[in-house]
Amino acid sequence: MSEAPSNPTNFDPRMVTRPDPALLNYYILVSLCSFIAAPFVFIPLYIRYSTMRYTLDDEGISMSYGFFFRREVYLAYRRIQDIHVTRNIVERWLGLAKVPIQTASGTSGPTMQIEGIRDPEPLRDYLYQQMRGARGLDESGPTTDTTEPDAAGTPDDPAALLRDIRDEVRRLREKLEQQA
Amino acid sequence: MRAHTEKAAEWVYRGLWSILASWFKVPEQPPELPAAGGSPVRTFHPSRRFLSYLKFYFWFALVAIDLGLAVLWLLVFLSSHLAGLLLAPIFLVVMVVPDIFAYVAIHLRYDTTWYVMSDHTLRCRRGVWLICEHTITFENVQDIHVRRGPVQQYFGISHIVVETAGSSEGTHDNAFTIGNKAIMEGIDNPDEIRSLILERVRRSKAAGLGDERTERPEPTRWRPAEITLLREIRDDLRGCLPT
Repeated sequence: MSEAPSNPTNFDPRMVTRPDPALLNYYILVSLCSFIAAPFVFIPLYIRYSTMRYTLDDEGISMSYGFFFRREVYLAYRRIQDIHVTRNIVERWLGLAKVPIQTASGTSGPTMQIEGIRDPEPLRDYLYQQMRGARGLDESGPTTDTTEPDAAGTPDDPAALLRDIRDEVRRLREKLEQQA
Repeated sequence: MRAHTEKAAEWVYRGLWSILASWFKVPEQPPELPAAGGSPVRTFHPSRRFLSYLKFYFWFALVAIDLGLAVLWLLVFLSSHLAGLLLAPIFLVVMVVPDIFAYVAIHLRYDTTWYVMSDHTLRCRRGVWLICEHTITFENVQDIHVRRGPVQQYFGISHIVVETAGSSEGTHDNAFTIGNKAIMEGIDNPDEIRSLILERVRRSKAAGLGDERTERPEPTRWRPAEITLLREIRDDLRGCLPT
């Protein structure tokens, strides 16, 4: 799986609403691993799959799943600290990936585990771009707006500028007085 | 002769890699970082000495386990010559085959471990069966640990653990897959890497907890001299227009 040069501008985060259907296959395989207990393992996983919803908006990402035990997580992009991408061999065969993301909360697991993502690279890059500090340190800092000296080379001092204005107005006034 | 064996080993290893890449979808290329304003990106493996370090443990375990197995076989042989001779091939297979796998696994582990550093970001990727990738920005880094055990000291390598905020008690098993610790194993220039990261962390004024730098520039206040000038302008303009 070579990493395709992902183009974050081509990626529409609003399209990520449901896990990929292959996730259900993955869940079937996972539950088959427990042989005799497979149906009992599969039912919660099936509910999880069929109720899983993602919403990626401009500010953050939310995820909800569960029917009897409903869970919703919302987190803001700016609070993301760690983005993982994990793919075990079965997931790779099915073309899936997990994207666990972590904020500064003290939970032992990931804050949010985005599952069933086909081609995780664009999503990962999108989250990365939204993350704090991804675009360098000057991105949101106060820009010291230094005005460029104009053609006449007036100094950058407001007092000097105002003095110039005053002189100009004075000249105008004198001219007007002469005409009068 | 030696050159031939090396060549053959290289060839076998390449073949193994192509199988891994095509069947097991193990990426051969290093991970990439989105272009971050043309800042230089450093892509590297752990130090070659990390490989020696892993192999040291490999030989240590190999000698210990195989010696144990040899002693066991000797006991069987002494108690019954026939059983000893019959069991000899099985013992040989048990002694040799796992060693080959382990040796190849060490090389694969080394070759699939990548560290990518840009001006703002660190990305680590590792794993063959379970491929884990971890991305953090230096803006969020809280602390950096450099760890070195006695054996690592001998090989001149260190582990660097870069932590972000949060207290996830990731056991060693899942520390790579989830959690807030980016672990760089087998670094032979830890001081350089550490100061590089620290310097980037220091450049950030934020606390690293998701807070924005919102300090706004002070609202410009007019100084008395300017107010005097403004009054003069106003008075001039007043005089300008005939009331």
